[in-house]
Amino acid sequence: MRLMRASEIVKRPVVTMRGEDVAQVKDIVYAAAGGAVAGFTLAGRGMFAGPLKLGLTWRAVAALGAEAVMITDESVFEPTEAVLSDAASGRAGGNVLGSQVLTDAGVDLGKVIDVIVAVGDTVGGQCDVVGYEIEASAALGTKGTKLLIPLPDTIAASASHLVVPASAQGFVAHDLAGFGAAVLAFRAQLEGGG
Amino acid sequence: MQWWSWIVLAVAVVVLVVVAVVAVQSRRRRGGVIVDPAGRARGRTGGSA
Repeated sequence: MRLMRASEIVKRPVVTMRGEDVAQVKDIVYAAAGGAVAGFTLAGRGMFAGPLKLGLTWRAVAALGAEAVMITDESVFEPTEAVLSDAASGRAGGNVLGSQVLTDAGVDLGKVIDVIVAVGDTVGGQCDVVGYEIEASAALGTKGTKLLIPLPDTIAASASHLVVPASAQGFVAHDLAGFGAAVLAFRAQLEGGG
Repeated sequence: MQWWSWIVLAVAVVVLVVVAVVAVQSRRRRGGVIVDPAGRARGRTGGSA
């Protein structure tokens, strides 16, 4: 299981197995229920290209490498709506970057500046949102610093507010190196206490 | 105006238009992380928010 920031995936080129650079990642779309990454919206390549009306579902990704997202060929692209579902209709979804993170006790922990994604090592393995990188508020005692906060299996999220259990404050990390263990410990604590 | 000043003006307009188009498209390509409220969990268990 690899951990990476969403900002590392955004703008990454989408390359076919024939070596064609056909698009780049625009948005990462994940499910509020469970945090599973549904896929990516796409933008064209080149200075004059804009967003595409095509998306890439996670199950169509052959590999998510350090330099590129690999796909078999362009036939795996689907209409953007297939990736976005109701988020596209603007019902309650939206970009979480800049959203406020609240505990279930109503404490403001800070604002989301990035999202941490766990990617399975096997092809077709799961890809899940497991944490947020936040700019800490005064409630965490280190206002303005960047912290990683783990998420439970079940995420309460809308575009404006993201709610985490208050106990998540005890599992914050400062870098990705120790964050995987923090996520596991946090989830184990929730299962033990729940 | 001299004839060459029209050429300078035309080139300036073209450059401005190209810069504007590149800036707009760059902004439209800018990505984010979208939460999908209707998205489905994939066999996950445990935990609660």
